[in-house]
Amino acid sequence: MNTKPFTSGPSDNAVTITRVADRQWHALEDDLVVGRGYAEHRPDGRLFVSIDAWHDATFDRLAEVMLAELPAPLHTVVDEADAELTAGWRRAGFTVRRREWEYAVPTDPRVTGLAAVRPPSGVTIVPAGQVDEGLLRAVDRAIRDEVEATVGWRSMPAEVIRRPEGDTIVDPSKYAVAAAPDRYLGLIRVVTVNRPRIGLVAVRAGEQRRGIARALLAHALGTLHRSGFSAAWAEVHESNQAASALLKGIGARPVSSNLELVR
Amino acid sequence: MTKNKNVIEVEGKVVECLRSAMFTVELENGHRVLAHISGKIRKNYIKIMLEDRVLVELPPYDLTRGRIVFRYRN
Repeated sequence: MNTKPFTSGPSDNAVTITRVADRQWHALEDDLVVGRGYAEHRPDGRLFVSIDAWHDATFDRLAEVMLAELPAPLHTVVDEADAELTAGWRRAGFTVRRREWEYAVPTDPRVTGLAAVRPPSGVTIVPAGQVDEGLLRAVDRAIRDEVEATVGWRSMPAEVIRRPEGDTIVDPSKYAVAAAPDRYLGLIRVVTVNRPRIGLVAVRAGEQRRGIARALLAHALGTLHRSGFSAAWAEVHESNQAASALLKGIGARPVSSNLELVR
Repeated sequence: MTKNKNVIEVEGKVVECLRSAMFTVELENGHRVLAHISGKIRKNYIKIMLEDRVLVELPPYDLTRGRIVFRYRN
């Protein structure tokens, strides 16, 4: 356990920074916890940090200690509207790596205009819970390989669910797919914890621009609407104009933005 | 209300979503605090919305502020 004292905060009492676990730090003042820092590996191997402190000076000191003890590069995520927190990370030397818009996506077909949308000829939508797991894993692997061969998943929205090595399908029951007679062409994943989140919409490279993603969205949003949900959430990288256009075209609106910072 | 390592944690409900990523949370005792989201919640992309039940950590020297450290499942 490393313990490093310094003076800061609302009084002249010394604040002590202590590494209380492998990836956890505490700022203590008069035996009170006045700040905490965490580090956590994402499934893709990147190391993300976070700091919660009641005063800028405590934040800065926690950042200084953590950054000295952790290997670069380090990442963090902030709400762009949280100017105070963003400023703290900038003081620590972090810069913006990517921006992701959060969209509220309506589900009502009268709003989305998706009521009459059907998959292209020869393609059927297989609802969540009825998907063949082997074919699902095959299309997931194929699409990931296609992405990796171009822009790479590292520029994609970060996934936070820890999964066994190499396995990208945590729960097959969360996926609906677009199916051809011999294979799956695309997939959509919707996970609902309190409210639904569209975590992934993807179509094989050779099958894009046929309306498959739109048909998958029409199916998933319609299902949510019939289940009583009026909106879903989705995050889109600011450079992904195709995804933004798809969502805006069905009435989705950006409600906030996340910044991924790196140092 | 719970105290863990001298940290005061209280359950409450989000009654207002403000700008600058802040929220008004009404605590179990009816008291309202201005709260922001903890880094761990933000890092894990957990959305906080109106009427969510949350666990709020209060600072030891200012009980008008808070930090949302957990969102309960409905």
